[in-house]
Amino acid sequence: MNRALTVARLQFVVWRAVIGWPWGILALSFLINLALFSAMQENEDFEPTTGGLMSIYIVMLIASISAILQDFPFALGLGVSRRSFYLGNVLQFTVQALVYAAVLYLLAGVEEATDGWGANLRFFGLPFLVVENPVLRFLGFAIPFLLLGFIGIAIALVAKRWGANGLLTLSAVVLAGIGGLAVLATWRGWWSAIGDWFADQPGWALLVGWPALVTLVLAAVSYLVIRRATP
Amino acid sequence: MSAVATVTNLTKRYRGVTALDGVSFALTENRIHGLLGRNGAGKTTLMQILTAQNFATSGEVSVFGEHPYENEQVLSRISFIKESQTYPSSLRVTHVLRAARLVYPNWDEEYAQRLVDVFQLPGGRNVRKLSRGMLSALGIVVGLASRAPLTFFDEPYLGLDAVARQLFYDHLLADYTEHPRTIVLSTHLIDEVSDLIEHVLLIDQGRLLLDIEAEALRGQVVTVSGPVAAVDEFTRTGTELHRASLGGTARATVRGDFGPAAHDRARSLGLGLEPSSLQDIVVRLTTSNNGHAAGAGSATANKEAAR
Repeated sequence: MNRALTVARLQFVVWRAVIGWPWGILALSFLINLALFSAMQENEDFEPTTGGLMSIYIVMLIASISAILQDFPFALGLGVSRRSFYLGNVLQFTVQALVYAAVLYLLAGVEEATDGWGANLRFFGLPFLVVENPVLRFLGFAIPFLLLGFIGIAIALVAKRWGANGLLTLSAVVLAGIGGLAVLATWRGWWSAIGDWFADQPGWALLVGWPALVTLVLAAVSYLVIRRATP
Repeated sequence: MSAVATVTNLTKRYRGVTALDGVSFALTENRIHGLLGRNGAGKTTLMQILTAQNFATSGEVSVFGEHPYENEQVLSRISFIKESQTYPSSLRVTHVLRAARLVYPNWDEEYAQRLVDVFQLPGGRNVRKLSRGMLSALGIVVGLASRAPLTFFDEPYLGLDAVARQLFYDHLLADYTEHPRTIVLSTHLIDEVSDLIEHVLLIDQGRLLLDIEAEALRGQVVTVSGPVAAVDEFTRTGTELHRASLGGTARATVRGDFGPAAHDRARSLGLGLEPSSLQDIVVRLTTSNNGHAAGAGSATANKEAAR
């Protein structure tokens, strides 16, 4: 465990890049949106929602991919075990996700209090995140970080362990799987049932529960894959 | 002296290629081992398996008495500097050293800084923008300053000029004398390190050809030159590794148990006798093992010794 903490600290050797990129890009995206919608000066009932918040999640995805492709060979070269490397990264991603979510939560609060930064801008508070429960709202910010982080780790690990062919095989399998299910659902006329199922799910399940479950499965599978990966 | 690492019947097969074939040896504590062999002989694979970066197909590996795979106790005492090491693109030289300081328990920061000055490494430069030689120097700094009880250097000199290579050898020897540890140095520049190496491991095509004290090896292989008949007479007492003939004279590299008596015998046969250099020994052993006659002017057939 000590060694895992060391790995987490290893990431922060370049803390300027680790923290600077996601927040720098998010800030840039925010300022552009703010300038844009201030300039438009639409009437009161116009409440624009931007997709700008996505940028910080995309940066997290990229960071997790490069953690496997670049940091993994480096850490193993320094004599870190695969287990410590993985645990250290999971620890770092989780702490990062929680802290970032807290900051976004606060910014969303400020946004509400200031009537969208004085420009009716809805940048941090997303419409599908409108839940009253503060814990769920917080998790609604945090879980996508973890989900994307582990998607990135899983994809990069497939590339690391099985190369480009592995990646192409995975894509083919996913495509065939989804396509096959779509064909099956259409053929058997399941679509309305599927729609009902989604409609019946409580908000917290769609927002937090199912993504968290997928994240856990990806995390477990990734651990098994990294245990036999070579740098 | 005790063994730091033992390898028993180690075999590694990649798809269709046998990289290591039943290799067994032990690394003695506090000694400099030269791991020698041609490109593709299996040196890097061997070191990767010893450091748990790669997996053996069969056979046993034990480092500090335990299996190194996922073994923090073992891995934290190993430093493996390889020519092919990659670094994350955002790191500068100082970042790499800071990372190494975090990871290696015996890291000597003051020594690392001294080495950075010696090799004139630009601390603020991104590692991806370093020249090949500087990248090698960075690896050398990490490998030396880590002071790991078991340190592997896998061709650490790529792109380094002769002066920097000599600096590396000098610092390696000086630091090793002051802080004894087990070192494995894999290299092609055998002549340059022949004074440094105390124990020789030679692998060829995945098989271990030599596992012997350097001093003992030097006495074992000699080169004799003189009239063909006399050379024939002398080589009968050993294994002929290589011969070059010109007219009535021949020059043969022979392996055997040569004591002072052999020198007297050579003299009485009218032969010149000289101990072969480590590089010569490695080249001759490797080529005779492969069954390829090497060297210009070998008019007579290479006497293939039954091995």
